[in-house]
Amino acid sequence: MQLMSTIQSAKTAPALLELSAGNWRLAVLVGLVVSALAVVALPASGSFWVVGAMSALVAAAFAVNAYRRRYYGGLLVAPAIAVLFVMNIFPLLWSLGLSFFAYQSNLQSIRFVGLNNYIKVLTDEVAAPANWNALINTAMFAVCTVSVQMIVGFLLAMLFAKQFPLRKYLLILVLTPMMLSVVASGVFFTYYYDPTFGILSYVINSLAGGQFIVMDSKAGAVAGIVFADAWMWSPFVMLLVLAGLVSVPRYLYEAAAIDRVSAWRRFWSITFPYIRGLLMLALLFRTIEAFKLADLVIVLTKGGNDTMTISYHLIRIANEQNKTSEGAAISYIILFIVIVLTNLYLYVANPKNREA
Amino acid sequence: MTATREINRIVMAAGLAASLVLGATVAFAGDVTLTMAVPDWPPTRIMKKFFDEQYKPKSGNTVKLQVDFIPWPDFYTRVNASLTSGEKKYNFIVSDSQWLGAFVEGGYFRKINDLLNADPEFMKTFKDIHPNALNSYSTYPHKSENYYGFPQFPDVLVNFARKDIICHEAEQKNFMAKFNQKLPCTSEELDAMTWDDFKNVGEFFRRKKGEMLAGKPAEDDFYGIAFQAGKSYDFSSMQINGFIWQMGGDIWDETQAPTSKAEGVVNSPAAVKALEKYLSLIAYMPPLAKTGTMDIFKSDELFRQGKVAMSVNWIGLAEASLDPKTSRVSDSLVFGMMPGTKGADGKLVRWSNIGGQPFVLTTWTTDAQIKEAVEFVKWWLSSNIQHQFAAAGGQSAIKSVYSDPKYVTYRPWNRAWAPSLDWQKDVWHVPQFFELLTQQQDQYDLAITGRQDAKTTQDNIAKFQQRLLKEVGLIK
Repeated sequence: MQLMSTIQSAKTAPALLELSAGNWRLAVLVGLVVSALAVVALPASGSFWVVGAMSALVAAAFAVNAYRRRYYGGLLVAPAIAVLFVMNIFPLLWSLGLSFFAYQSNLQSIRFVGLNNYIKVLTDEVAAPANWNALINTAMFAVCTVSVQMIVGFLLAMLFAKQFPLRKYLLILVLTPMMLSVVASGVFFTYYYDPTFGILSYVINSLAGGQFIVMDSKAGAVAGIVFADAWMWSPFVMLLVLAGLVSVPRYLYEAAAIDRVSAWRRFWSITFPYIRGLLMLALLFRTIEAFKLADLVIVLTKGGNDTMTISYHLIRIANEQNKTSEGAAISYIILFIVIVLTNLYLYVANPKNREA
Repeated sequence: MTATREINRIVMAAGLAASLVLGATVAFAGDVTLTMAVPDWPPTRIMKKFFDEQYKPKSGNTVKLQVDFIPWPDFYTRVNASLTSGEKKYNFIVSDSQWLGAFVEGGYFRKINDLLNADPEFMKTFKDIHPNALNSYSTYPHKSENYYGFPQFPDVLVNFARKDIICHEAEQKNFMAKFNQKLPCTSEELDAMTWDDFKNVGEFFRRKKGEMLAGKPAEDDFYGIAFQAGKSYDFSSMQINGFIWQMGGDIWDETQAPTSKAEGVVNSPAAVKALEKYLSLIAYMPPLAKTGTMDIFKSDELFRQGKVAMSVNWIGLAEASLDPKTSRVSDSLVFGMMPGTKGADGKLVRWSNIGGQPFVLTTWTTDAQIKEAVEFVKWWLSSNIQHQFAAAGGQSAIKSVYSDPKYVTYRPWNRAWAPSLDWQKDVWHVPQFFELLTQQQDQYDLAITGRQDAKTTQDNIAKFQQRLLKEVGLIK
């Protein structure tokens, strides 16, 4: 009876300001206040340790609370959540916090500037034009690379859904680019496009007689990057679509054949419903990846010929110029755009949910 | 076993353990490890080889030089990440001279005035360094009396040329017929070249595959000239600065901060004219130059592949052109100074942007390590080792070494070394270096790829620099 009453009393959450080892609400409140004060008042290295200690305090309060309230399931997954917190959530929150400060990593100087970094990267006379230009370039690359990859990947999937001689070996060959490192592929394409040594220029020079330089204009440089990216990632789209295509029951096609349904109608009524979800998934993955496009650009053009993408620009700002907090602000703007796009895709992809 | 015996055994075991630990400490007390971050290329490989084979510390300690060879394209990123992350891994860093401001202000690079003042022998060696190299590699603020670095490998731009092409009788005759002047062929004639002469060589040697070149049909398309015109790092700036200085223009002068301005200087008519001159030569270079990716490694590769008659590049890359395993032109090379611009008095003005690197000490290096590091640097800058380094393909900025008549015999380009040193300047050393550089490189890329004229380019650079430097207080 006494045990029951102990358990019941333990299950009652303490009031917000009640001092108790398991009062996680109080721990969160203290943690937030102390962390904010530390970030404003202490140097970066000091505030790092104070915020770390506060995070540990909150975690300990949660653990004690869970133990007292017999949440053993929660305690069992706590180590995994702790790792997730340390490896993902904490750095994410830390970088979000940094975006409100003026912090230069090489000078270790820090001061609170509120939303100034966001305003600066979007509107400043000196900083903003390069950011906007890189953002516009990224949008252009996203549209071009994703469109090409979706079309080529889809066509390849339609081809490989059928049986034909050497299909297995050709499939391996088509999938190979996806398995190569981006740098290796990039270096391969630099030589492929090279106007002096490159085979592409050599063949066109031989046929047309005039000098052909692929990457000497923005259009050529963009086309070169889009082609290299599509070469690597169209097989990824193909794989997803192929998975959908092979899952279509054959009897549906047989029934359609008996009813003499046209090829287009067969595709639209039978095939497409099976691959629509996978196509959206491929579109989503490739769009998110397109926003991270940097490695291929670095290897092929170094951002020259107006091919600077926002991810490469971000690397230059945060890593080379050590403007960490400005870089964090740009990262969160990209994150915001990607989240909006993702939701837009999901909204378009799920008409049933929308109707509901 | 009684309690007393047990205690005795524990005490004896503890004593034995303590004496082992103490013994080990004593035995290794003279071990000093110096950890160094260096770019991976011949001048640093040679240094490590010399150290391993020859260095014997005067202290009698066992000194280990642990070297991280980092590929050039990743070098700045890796060093920057190491320093700013606070890992304190390196005692020595082979730093580009332009990084001094950023890393001195960040508290990473150690001032060495106290070490020089405490050691007259060291000071004497230090003062024997050519003043242009000393200012570029050691001083921050630039040209002040605050010293930070020692030359590891000093470098200048020189003109690489192919004798088999430029000295060919038919080519000489045709060049004379076309330009009414002799096609430069010897080292001395290369030394006397202006950029206009260089342009003529570029124009003259544009040959299509199959056209006659030095008495034979060309195996492939051939080009007259090459120099750096790449967007990444500092590649176009290092060449364009030379044009600007030679033609009477200037870059923003950090030694006059905060009174000197960027606007009106960076985009002065002379600077614009200099950029126009630079751009006018791009047309005669291999087509890669038009893509904005002609970095120093590409122009070196094109030259060694036999696609170019003359190429301006750093001495640090020249060694591979002499090696038949890596060069198709190894047996027909001649070297001269980088072309200049004729001044009002008719003499050649030869200003150029210095290359090469100093090594610097980091602030967390311990006293024991500093002592050994100073000994190592004195050994490295000593006459004997500097001569050996030059003989193995390196260079020396020590006056008494490069003035020795033997010096010019080590490598065919060494004759251009000492006269070039007098004409070296450096780009800014301020902490905002990378921000200034990347914006400038972006602008030069627009000009090189033909999407922007020289005036707009210099105006944009000047406006950006004025605004940024004003924001950080380096311009009033």
